[in-house]
Amino acid sequence: MALFQIQEPGETRTKEACATTAVGIDLGTTNSLVAVVRPDLRTGAGKPRALPIDEGSTLLPSVVSYGTSPTPVVGRAARRLAADAPRDTIVSVKRFMGKTSADPETRRLSPYKFAEGESGTVRFEVKGRAVTPVEVSAEILKALKIRAEEQLGTKIAQAVITVPAYFDDAQRQATKEAGRLAGLEVLRLLNEPTAAALAYGLDKRSQGTFAVYDLGGGTFDISILKLVEGVFEVKAVGGDSALGGDDFDRAIAQVLLAELRRESDPRLVREAIDAAKTAKESLTRNDRAEVELGGRQRLLTREEMERVIRPLIERTGPASRRALKDAGVPDGKGLDGVILVGGSTRVPAVRAYVRELFGMEPLADIDPDEVVALGAAVQADLLTAESPQHDVLLLDVAPLSLGLETMGGLAEKLILRNTTIPTSATQEFTTFADAQTGMDIHVVQGERELVQDNRSLARFRLSGIPPLPAGLARVAVTFQVDADGILSVTAREQLTGVSQSITVKPSAGLTDDEIERMLMASIEHAEEDVEARLLIDARVEAQRILKAAEQQIENNGDLLSADERRDIETAMQALRDTAQRKEHRAVQDGIQRLDHVSAEFAKRVMDRGIERALKGHSAAEFESGEVSPHAQKAYSALRDE
Amino acid sequence: MPETSAICWSCGTARAPSDALCPSCGKVQAPPPPRGVLDKFAVLGFPRVYELDERALEESFRALSRKLHPDRFARATPRERRFSLEQTTILNDANRTLRDPVKRAEHLLALRGVKVAGEERGSSASMPEEFLEQAMEDREKLLEAKMDGGPAAVERLAQGVRGKRQQAMDEIAKVLREESVADKDLQRAAQLLARLRYYARYLDEVEGRAAEM
Repeated sequence: MALFQIQEPGETRTKEACATTAVGIDLGTTNSLVAVVRPDLRTGAGKPRALPIDEGSTLLPSVVSYGTSPTPVVGRAARRLAADAPRDTIVSVKRFMGKTSADPETRRLSPYKFAEGESGTVRFEVKGRAVTPVEVSAEILKALKIRAEEQLGTKIAQAVITVPAYFDDAQRQATKEAGRLAGLEVLRLLNEPTAAALAYGLDKRSQGTFAVYDLGGGTFDISILKLVEGVFEVKAVGGDSALGGDDFDRAIAQVLLAELRRESDPRLVREAIDAAKTAKESLTRNDRAEVELGGRQRLLTREEMERVIRPLIERTGPASRRALKDAGVPDGKGLDGVILVGGSTRVPAVRAYVRELFGMEPLADIDPDEVVALGAAVQADLLTAESPQHDVLLLDVAPLSLGLETMGGLAEKLILRNTTIPTSATQEFTTFADAQTGMDIHVVQGERELVQDNRSLARFRLSGIPPLPAGLARVAVTFQVDADGILSVTAREQLTGVSQSITVKPSAGLTDDEIERMLMASIEHAEEDVEARLLIDARVEAQRILKAAEQQIENNGDLLSADERRDIETAMQALRDTAQRKEHRAVQDGIQRLDHVSAEFAKRVMDRGIERALKGHSAAEFESGEVSPHAQKAYSALRDE
Repeated sequence: MPETSAICWSCGTARAPSDALCPSCGKVQAPPPPRGVLDKFAVLGFPRVYELDERALEESFRALSRKLHPDRFARATPRERRFSLEQTTILNDANRTLRDPVKRAEHLLALRGVKVAGEERGSSASMPEEFLEQAMEDREKLLEAKMDGGPAAVERLAQGVRGKRQQAMDEIAKVLREESVADKDLQRAAQLLARLRYYARYLDEVEGRAAEM
């Protein structure tokens, strides 16, 4: 045994057990935190603890600056750069997660410049390049990971990341992608209010029905939970994923800017928002605050500020009332407590409104900034530890209804909001035209009757339905929502068993290519890697096509004239030659050329195949689905023509 | 007769197809193959009865969730994780059905081979003409009350519909309480259940809007 491997007795076990650690991460709009459950050395009991990761504070401002150095700067250091590089410093990126460039969010008061992405994703233009919200969030996660690793002295490979309960599928997917991009295995996406309830429930050993009122920097969430014997059952959630303290700041900033009567530029907007934020924070403790903007001083009273933000606070009312009703505690009758979460619940006017809304004094004894991260750490421990520190279970729900577009642009709901997950639902649909062989499946999320008013999650097409009179084919569409709240959809034609399935990749998310590219870009020597991979892909494809061509010529060569045969063989030889070269583009060109000259041949081979498949079967057999799927497919192809 | 064809994938012990966990080694099992109507009462360990103790139902749901939920299998093999997801999906669905008196009644009828009208959109054709007319009229009245009558008038209408709903529920409960039910009584219960959907939609419109105002 080497000397350095010898350790004090008793130390070895803990060191080994913590070789890699799973953490809880609150990826917040304004601040992000990382927390971990570590057994207390004396008592052995595990309490979650938020780690000091930014200049001694547990709060890492969710700010990423691409301004000055080649590597992005995160946290307080980035915030200090915001004033000088307002365009290149991204603040509150969470508001843009999973959003398209058409979303109203991109048109609010902000200093950013946006670029159009190929999948309609929002992109910020920073220092001559475009970054997606997922990439920006990944920078925050990376900073959290690295700084926590330094603190703990262990590697961190896994994390539970929290999301607002009211995040839709696109926003959840985007968060998961950011985790992946930061090199983290995302054990679970945990709803923020559920995480908060977990931290509270364990601390207080409470039982009963609780409301969690979570007003953060950019999102509002309301959750109603029932806690019984260590099982945290979410009864209902609601909220607004674009409402928070940032909006208070903007509303105040707008007042300040209007008073200046000056043309505003990105720098001034940034300054106004910062001044508004400082004033708001000061006014939680004081009755009045000095505000300075563009060389102009003015006094802002709390009363004045409350007048400006009151309409925004009141927007939390309808969602709260609806959640209470959904949970079976209308108007808060039967509620045992209200838990406050999120920095914005420090604003006295918010507390007053909560008191009014629920008819009781809210609880805020755990730091509302840390409580979500602490709960996430407990869940990370539950999912990874050999013997978790707490024996609890979280039962969460789908925040929004999931459905399909049906005739006339109506949304038919398959899974209703507040359904406990995991869950699945199946609905049968039929064809509306004679001999219809394909069906478009359009997946939507939301509560409204009309498809156009809901969020579009995905579209795909089920083809290969046997051509039957209208209304006879049966297509079963199954939705499955997993424990992260992420949806996958399967469509299956019942007669032939033809099926299509997808994990919903939101229309507003990133294309697979984009994700792949971003992952590649994060590796060193990115360009060579991409070229190498593309070349390998192209060569594999070339091999496949050449082999197929050889086989078809051998089996069906009689369908070709001598000229045609020579053309194809020339193209094949050319492709074999270019496949030796090192440029993937040349290989792809060769593939295309071969594809082009053999198109007619392929069609003839196919016709022959259909003819053979149909021989010996009666039409009735096809209608009743008694023949093999292969023959059935050939039959469909024929009917389509 | 109970089927005993299934065996545990892990220890090979014979088990009932409906066992979520192996009675011998406790490992999570594949759910039964989808054949006919799944008995959701059995999933939660209850006999097929209309009246059941809500508290006992909640307790059973919690106890089973503790054993089957995917979080309990985060460190298990992919196979066990898949079975856990499938079993929990079934458990959640069964719980949703049983805790709602209307869905519970529908399920009892489904287990007896009776389908309730109105399960699919646009299948209102099987409802009696006079009921549909009445429903239309009720909705018109509701609209009117919302426009000119104010909350008190809306509430009065809602009270009326709640009364009808209770009546229907009572009658359904009475039918389903019987050991053996005549076919025409089952059909009658199915009719009443279809009506409940209309009442529910009506009351949603009253209460849902009020909650969001």
